[in-house]
Amino acid sequence: MSTQEMTKRKRCVQPLSEIHEEDKKVIIRLEMPGVEKKDLNIQVENNRLRINATRKESEQEGTYLLRERNCVDYEKVFTIDETIDRDSIDAVMKNGVLELSLQFKKEVQPRRIEIKG
Amino acid sequence: MNLVKWKNNDLLDPMNEFDRLQDEINKLFDWNYPENRGLFDRSLSPAVDLVENENEIILVCDLPGIKKDDLDLSISRNVITIKGEKKNELKKEGRKTFRNETWSGAFQRTISLPETVDPEKVDASMKEGVLTVKVAKREEVKPRQISVNVK
Repeated sequence: MSTQEMTKRKRCVQPLSEIHEEDKKVIIRLEMPGVEKKDLNIQVENNRLRINATRKESEQEGTYLLRERNCVDYEKVFTIDETIDRDSIDAVMKNGVLELSLQFKKEVQPRRIEIKG
Repeated sequence: MNLVKWKNNDLLDPMNEFDRLQDEINKLFDWNYPENRGLFDRSLSPAVDLVENENEIILVCDLPGIKKDDLDLSISRNVITIKGEKKNELKKEGRKTFRNETWSGAFQRTISLPETVDPEKVDASMKEGVLTVKVAKREEVKPRQISVNVK
């Protein structure tokens, strides 16, 4: 992405993430406080997994005595390789945390080989 | 000012620190993708907003992944304390971790509210990982409108 493209878009931050791998799947966990399920947009295009979320929280009325929270939209792009099955990506949003589980394709999952004879 | 954890382990190369400082400063101006790390790290205490209006003080706190039951909120006079524990459920045996930017563990944050609050009238709610606490102000400090009959 060019810098020009980046500046055109709305300001957003990358959510804090965790990536874990299991035998059959990869688990991605993204912390996005203040995001509801309906404000979330997850897309897979070719080898890119793009997660966009808008934060619709309105500002509180009054004078801010302290402002530490960063109330902007979230965006994160992951590159996924060909071992991930594009059709079996699950997403669960709970308590401001998005958990994605990406299954490996059947042919790359470890399997037991029977020994004959 | 919060203390920021010193993360650089490379003691043998002090010049490294200068590079890092430069990075941090560059990040300040990188309006598109600020990172929540380094100087902006919030891994020791959750981020808090404090808003004052005519009737109440509103405290908003980002606590992603924390359940209502794991949170302990207390107020004494005008000092409010948020205590809790964030559990990492994903770290298990047999899992390989590739990246972990998040934190887990116990945290506590104590904030002094203005003296005008009424500690008896507190209303707290948790939604989508955001805690909102509304503390009403004492009646006597609220602005009142008094109508005066002019004869």
